[in-house]
Amino acid sequence: MTEKYAVSNALNSLLEQPQCGSHKCSVRLLCLGNELLGDDALGSKVAAQFRRFALPDLDIVCTPETGLQLLDHVVNVNRLIVVDTVVTGSAPLGTIYELRDTAVPRVPGPSPHYVGLLETLAVARELRLPAAKQVCILAVEARGCLTIGQDMHPAIVAAIPDLIQMLRQRIGTKMVEFASCGEETTAIPIRNSP
Amino acid sequence: MPEEEGQGLHQTRPEGAARTGFVNVQRRITIDPVTRLEGHGKIEIFLDEAGQVERAYFQVPELRGFEKFVQGRPAEDMPQITSRICGVCPTAHHMAATKALDNLYRVDPPPTAKIIRELVYNTFMAEDHTLHFYFLGGPDFVVGPDAPAAERNVLGVIGKVGVETGRKVIAMRRRWRELIALVAGKTVHPVFGLPGGVAKRVTPEMQRQFQEVAADGVEFAKFTLGLFKDVVLKNTDYVDLILSDLYTHRTYYMGLVDDHNRTNFYDGWIRVVTPEGKEWKKFASDQYLDNVAEHVEPWSYVKFCYLKQVGWKGFREGLESGIYSVAPLARLNVSDGMSTPLAQEAYDEYFSVLGGKPVHHTLANHWARLVELIHAAERMQELAADPRLTEPDIRILPTESPREGIGVVEAPRGTLIHHYQTDENGLIRKANLIVATQNNSARMAMSVEKAAKGLISGGDIPEGVLNRVEMAFRAYDPCHGCATHSLPGSMPLLVRVWDPRGQTLGMLRRDLDGKVRRE
Repeated sequence: MTEKYAVSNALNSLLEQPQCGSHKCSVRLLCLGNELLGDDALGSKVAAQFRRFALPDLDIVCTPETGLQLLDHVVNVNRLIVVDTVVTGSAPLGTIYELRDTAVPRVPGPSPHYVGLLETLAVARELRLPAAKQVCILAVEARGCLTIGQDMHPAIVAAIPDLIQMLRQRIGTKMVEFASCGEETTAIPIRNSP
Repeated sequence: MPEEEGQGLHQTRPEGAARTGFVNVQRRITIDPVTRLEGHGKIEIFLDEAGQVERAYFQVPELRGFEKFVQGRPAEDMPQITSRICGVCPTAHHMAATKALDNLYRVDPPPTAKIIRELVYNTFMAEDHTLHFYFLGGPDFVVGPDAPAAERNVLGVIGKVGVETGRKVIAMRRRWRELIALVAGKTVHPVFGLPGGVAKRVTPEMQRQFQEVAADGVEFAKFTLGLFKDVVLKNTDYVDLILSDLYTHRTYYMGLVDDHNRTNFYDGWIRVVTPEGKEWKKFASDQYLDNVAEHVEPWSYVKFCYLKQVGWKGFREGLESGIYSVAPLARLNVSDGMSTPLAQEAYDEYFSVLGGKPVHHTLANHWARLVELIHAAERMQELAADPRLTEPDIRILPTESPREGIGVVEAPRGTLIHHYQTDENGLIRKANLIVATQNNSARMAMSVEKAAKGLISGGDIPEGVLNRVEMAFRAYDPCHGCATHSLPGSMPLLVRVWDPRGQTLGMLRRDLDGKVRRE
């Protein structure tokens, strides 16, 4: 593509350097969430569980960041497995969703200004950064993510063992590769809360 | 984030609850969510019988439980706790909390510690402002407010500026983040601020890295401002949009300035100017309670800050209304200039083109942000060249008994205040945070209402209206700090129309594929 605003050759040296911060790895478990915010602590709890296992080929990242701040975490990896909470209000608390994503470039999101995880992946690909080729997202239906210091709801806690088991399976199995732009993303409830 | 009692802040309440009746007698529009990038919220617009906008509300969910959570915890934990609560600008909270601890223990950090802190802080400001301009403000101005919806997004920005330029943006951002991590330990949760100083020295090798990146940063900032001029200022439609009355409010402004009334992000005096641009007051941070009060409305969790002596007069602009604004537009309005040469040049051009001080045009925040980007980059260069940067004296151990401490910084989104009270052992008894978005909340509510009233007529709601209403608050870069994450499928954008009897007449829905559907 022809550069329309390439006005500063002095900045070209930037392109000769690594484009992102995370080290290269085969599989990364990206646990999203804030340990201080109720149900949103799920990601950090899962990361803590996995850090107890000896999984030398697995890069475990736990962060409360969002949007484009996640860019460093979706690059320099072949397979990305994401754990997060999701609030749809349409399923019982603790319901686990697997997002079988076949459409990374999902922009625009619900707003022109919206940049979520998948939009960040799309940006990484558009900029020809070494973005994850395969992505699997496991999300748990949550509700209380706005009260500081609140414990996770028991239904979320109860979902963790199954979630861990599913993650271990996904980490050990090949995931479906992303297909072309424009296909539908489907979120399929695969375990209902008791 | 403050709790109900407001930590001694004076609060007013609305004269009546009549507004709650609007739901039943008006047509109602809901835009939900505004965005979840930096917290989530919604806009509610109420129409009268004629289809005209009567009121519009900007609503956000507020984090709860902060005061209870921190009670009894050591004050020294606050820089870590507050930076963990906010996933958007943790460095700002870390720095405000660290300064509050200085004040709490009555300890003045050595010059080298202050230089290190300010260096890290300006690095953070440069990174944050860059991210906002290219990826959040970009869809509005780089791509354009009237561009097809499918292009008005981050990929549209990349398409407009080019892939190589986009890669430079990402690379520059990465280098700034690496420098922050080099000194602060982590970019997500900095751990270097201590009462009386910092935890880590800057070595000569680190200084060399800062100098190298700072030089590139200045070039990058100049390039970005050049791009803005090329794309925005050469487009008369964009300039007309910036200057339009639809996005204009004549309010007071607040921001930190140094002893010469120049912009300073890290430290200084809180200066407030009137809607006419005259200094209303300049005060030390520990006098904020004498000057700032909060107003409560039944339709929002957010408390609306206003100038106590001027008073709360409703959502009105002008000299008689205590509503004020913070963030880049406000910071330039309260300053007499910039302390660095290129930023001063950009500052002069900004006010020259926009008709002199003060600038009341909300959308000018995007331009002001780039003036500040240049300043942050130049200030980095100055600080990185300071020979005191690598000196070993980086902390003075506190010896005073703690009691009360206040710390203020200019976060990217505006003035950020941390206020702690402790017992004699340094355990938190009360804590109050006034975040930038809270300072801006009243003006943001006015902006949303004005845009809605100006754009919606006769009940006709074209899709482009949604974006233009969003633009009214997006320029403030609002942040509600909850950093919750969103997966596709959960949050479409809705405009719902209600008849006077509360029945839904129809719904305009913008889905995740960017298409607008009527249901």
